[in-house]
Amino acid sequence: MELNVNQDNCLGCGVCVVACPVNVSISPEVSGGHGSRTEEIIMMVENGVIKLFSKEKCEKCGTCQMFCPVDAIFLE
Amino acid sequence: MIANTKEVKDKGFDIKRSAEEIRNLSFKDHVCIGCGICESTCPVEAIKVGNIGPIVRNEMDIPKLEIDEEKCVLCGMCSGICPVNALDFTIDNKSISDIDTYPKYIASAEIDDETCIHCQRCEVACPREAITIPRSLPERSKLVTGEIEVNEDTCIHCGICDEMCPTDAIDVNRIPGEESILINKDKCVYCLICKKSCPVNAIKAACRSCSYGEYDIDMSDAVTTGSSFIDDETCVKCGWCEEICPVDAAKVKKQFKGTLNIDQDKCTTCGTCIDVCPCDVLSFPESAGPATRVPNVGKEEQYCIHCGACERACPTDAIDVKITDVDYTPTKSKSWVDKFEALKNR
Repeated sequence: MELNVNQDNCLGCGVCVVACPVNVSISPEVSGGHGSRTEEIIMMVENGVIKLFSKEKCEKCGTCQMFCPVDAIFLE
Repeated sequence: MIANTKEVKDKGFDIKRSAEEIRNLSFKDHVCIGCGICESTCPVEAIKVGNIGPIVRNEMDIPKLEIDEEKCVLCGMCSGICPVNALDFTIDNKSISDIDTYPKYIASAEIDDETCIHCQRCEVACPREAITIPRSLPERSKLVTGEIEVNEDTCIHCGICDEMCPTDAIDVNRIPGEESILINKDKCVYCLICKKSCPVNAIKAACRSCSYGEYDIDMSDAVTTGSSFIDDETCVKCGWCEEICPVDAAKVKKQFKGTLNIDQDKCTTCGTCIDVCPCDVLSFPESAGPATRVPNVGKEEQYCIHCGACERACPTDAIDVKITDVDYTPTKSKSWVDKFEALKNR
């Protein structure tokens, strides 16, 4: 099982970035909806679409998938 | 399902396992709680437990665990150590849980039918929907006593009593030419609302319980009867029924004793543990009012079975579950004892 994104579906809303518990523990400011100060986090919205930076850090809890309104991020 | 016959080759030896007995391992996905105990117990690392978080939360259509049939040696340990009996191991079609030489957990959940008052509190509370309490209520007409009568000549079939009646005991047909009024005495509780609301005083009614007491009511007719049923397959012995039962009819014996600790600083409130917990132990606490802080995740540890599914699923390592005591039937096998005792060091 690994984390995948479908950039064609992505709205760029950033909910997954904020919801991801690993992102928040790496870069606490994302929990407040601010952009991350580091590219160490798992995913970030770049140029309006989601982009995976460190996919291997994913702990596979399924939170991003649960919150994504358009199935643009999912575990498979 | 994994069938028998296995050939183990090791440094020039051909070790064949007798196939005189039929060994079978089967898995019930709907029972599995994803605790990972089988995975850490399997002596040949044949079991892989999936990521229970996304499977449960996104209702994924994939099995919670996979067994490598090439590696499995059909020892049955996973079945014996599974705290919820999701894995069933049989030898010649007999489950090892019915074979005395194999150890098993000492755990049970029972409802005493003599004490049970069939309130169905446990049925509602059970996180696994494992309890059914079928009940039959007493007949209402036997709990009240009174008289009611309609004067058909006076009645104008306005339907006011029909609309007002709290027990739907009155049926008025208002179609011109077909007018009628019927009172169902099995439903009537002699509340006298119809009598008071009738604009033409066509109803005569009296409640005898009020004026005369309950002398002609047999209180043995007022008892709710029923039975109780716990589905042993889905029950995880969490203790909700015992805690919630108002008359102490439910008794639960858990196989593990232990501790559950949540590091609130590491927790990022993603809610994975809450969705994964098979016992409804964890929840997001309600705010206690302005300017007060509540923990990120709250726990009701009395319901915890210390299975460790939450610890396994937590993406930020904020949960620590420890088993301090394991209760199982005695066995002569040191390997089995070692595996049961090893649960304390997970």
